[in-house]
Amino acid sequence: MRHAKSFTLATAAVALTFTLAACGSEAPVLEDPSASPSDEATELDGLTQITVGVLPIVDVAPLYLGVEEGIFEEHGLEVEIVKAESGPALVPGVTSGEFDFGFSNATSLLLAQAGGNELQIVAPGNFANADAASDFSSLVVPAGSAIASVTDLAGKKVAVNAPKSLLQATISSQAEAAGVDPATIEFVPMGFGEMPAALAGGAVDAAFVVEPFLTITKQAGATPLDVAFASLDPELMVAGYFTTDAYATESPEVVEAFVAAMTESLELAQGDSDTVREALDLYTEIDPAVKSEMTLPTWLPEVSEDSLELQAELAQKYGFSEGAELDPSGLLP
Amino acid sequence: MSASTPAARVLRAAGLGLWKAVLFVLLPAVLVTIWWFASAGSTDPQVPALSVVLEKFSTVWFTEPFSQSLFVKAVVPSVTRLLIGFGIALVLGVVLGVLIGTFRPLRDFLEPALEFFRAIPPPILAPILMLFLGIDHALKIAIIAVGAVWPILLNTIEGVRGIDPVLKDTAQAYRLGPARRLFALTLPGAGPQIFTGARQALSIAMILMVIGEMFAAFDGIGSAIATFQATFATASMWSAVLILGSIGVVLALLFGAVERVVLKWYRGYLRTQRGGA
Repeated sequence: MRHAKSFTLATAAVALTFTLAACGSEAPVLEDPSASPSDEATELDGLTQITVGVLPIVDVAPLYLGVEEGIFEEHGLEVEIVKAESGPALVPGVTSGEFDFGFSNATSLLLAQAGGNELQIVAPGNFANADAASDFSSLVVPAGSAIASVTDLAGKKVAVNAPKSLLQATISSQAEAAGVDPATIEFVPMGFGEMPAALAGGAVDAAFVVEPFLTITKQAGATPLDVAFASLDPELMVAGYFTTDAYATESPEVVEAFVAAMTESLELAQGDSDTVREALDLYTEIDPAVKSEMTLPTWLPEVSEDSLELQAELAQKYGFSEGAELDPSGLLP
Repeated sequence: MSASTPAARVLRAAGLGLWKAVLFVLLPAVLVTIWWFASAGSTDPQVPALSVVLEKFSTVWFTEPFSQSLFVKAVVPSVTRLLIGFGIALVLGVVLGVLIGTFRPLRDFLEPALEFFRAIPPPILAPILMLFLGIDHALKIAIIAVGAVWPILLNTIEGVRGIDPVLKDTAQAYRLGPARRLFALTLPGAGPQIFTGARQALSIAMILMVIGEMFAAFDGIGSAIATFQATFATASMWSAVLILGSIGVVLALLFGAVERVVLKWYRGYLRTQRGGA
C-alpha cells in the first residue's frame, strides 16, 4: 500500500491549492482493477472521500499525522484537508456542505449553535497542558514591560485572535479572579502571525498566543504571565472536530469511521511527540529552532463535556452571546 | 420661458420636489418590502427575517443611555476617521495634482513611483503600517487616506492639464500672479474633475474605513461587523450592514450639496453652452 499512501498524501497536498483538481488526477494511479464502480460519487477505490476544513495550526497535527500514517485509509476514509483562514469561517463551510468536518474552538461552536447552526462535536481537538507554566498557550508581555501580572491589565491593549473568543474569556476570567474588571481591558483582535511584531513594536501591551508563537515571542524576549488555557482547567478541551447534525444523521458510518480514525490519531500523537513535530512540516513552515523548543498541546481521545460547560458559562458571563442561552449538551452527538 | 405667474412656478417647483422625493424613496421602499416578505419566518441562520434584523436596532445599536450605546461607540469613531482620512486625501490629492498637472517634468519624474504605489491595496499594508503608527486612529486614517488619494490625484492632474489653452494664454496675457492664477483659473478649471475624483474617493474611503477596522480594531463599524461574524450574530451583522449603507446615503447627499454650491458656476456654464449657442 506504500504507493496508495503516498498518493493520498499527494492528493491532500494538491487539494490544499487546487481543491477541484482532485478527480482528474486520481484515475491513472488506480491500482486495483477489480474495484467495483460505486454509485456514490464520493467513493473511490473502496474509500469514502471526506473533506475536512482546518486551521493550519499546531492543534490539528494529529489529523495530518493520521492521514500520513494511513490510519484514515484503514478506516475506509480518504481525507482531503483544506486550510481555512479562521475558525468562524469554517462553520459556514461545514453547514454549506463544502467540508464534511471542520475544526474549531468550542466557544465558537457554542455561539454558532446559538446562532441557529445545528452542529455536533464528534471528536476532541486538543487540550490544555497541566498548568499555565507548561501550557502551549499563554498571555505574554514584551521585554521590559511594566505589566508584571494580570492585575496590571486594566486599561491595557491585549491582542487576541478573535473578538469574543475563548482567549478573551480566559483573560477576562483570570483578570476578574485577580480583582480587575475585564471591561477595562481593551481586546484587540489580530492574527497570531501579527502578534509578535505588534508586541515588539508596542502596538499592544500584551498578547495571548499559542504555539508556535509562544516560543517565537519568548525567543524575542517576551515574558509569559500566569494566564493560559490551563488556568481555566488543567484538562480544558480547547477545540473539537465538528459536523452538522444533518450529516451525522445521513452518514452515521462515515462519522463513526472518522471518530475511530481520529481517536487513533490523537492517541498516536499524544504518545509520540517527535513524529508530531515531523508531521508539522506537512502543513506549516515553522522555524526548526522554534519547532524543537515549543510545547505541544495535550491530545486526549474523549470529548470533554465539562470543558464545553465551562466555555459556555464563560461566554455567557462575558456577554459573547447577546444574551442567548448556550447549550453545551446540544453540541454532543 | 412660457408666461407663468410666480404662484404657478412655486407650485410647479413644489410638485417637482415632491416627485423627486417620491423617486428617491421608491426603490428602497420596494426593496425593503421584498426583503421583508421574502425573509419572513426564515429559519436559515444565515438569512434571518428582516423583522429580527430590525429588532437589533433597539437591542444592539440604540441602547440606553444613548451616549454609551454601540451606535455612538461604533459610528462616531468610524465616521470621524472617515472624514479625516478623506480630508487628508483631498488636500494631498489636489495639492499634488495641481503641481504635477502644471509641471510636465514633475509628472514624468513621478509617474513610475505613483503607478507603483497606486497598485498596492492599502489594507495589505496594515500589518506594516502598524509598526509605525500603532493600532489606534492613525493607522485607520492612514489606510483610508492612502487608498482614497488616488482618484482625487489622478483626476486633478487630468483636470489641470485639460484646462482650455486659450484661457491659459489669456491668464498669461493678463499677467496673473501665481496665486490669482491658481484660484481664478486652475482650481475652478479643474473643479469638475476634482469633484468627480472626490466622489469616487468617498466610496473608496468608506470601503477602507470598514476594512481598516477589521484589522486590530476595538471600535468602529468594521470591528462591530467582524465581531458579529465571529460570534455568529447574523441578524446583528445585517443590521450593521444597513447602518453602513445608510451612512453611505447620507454622505452622498452631503457631498452632492457641497458640489452644488461649489460648482454652481459650472452648472450655469453648462446651461449656457447647451442653450446659448
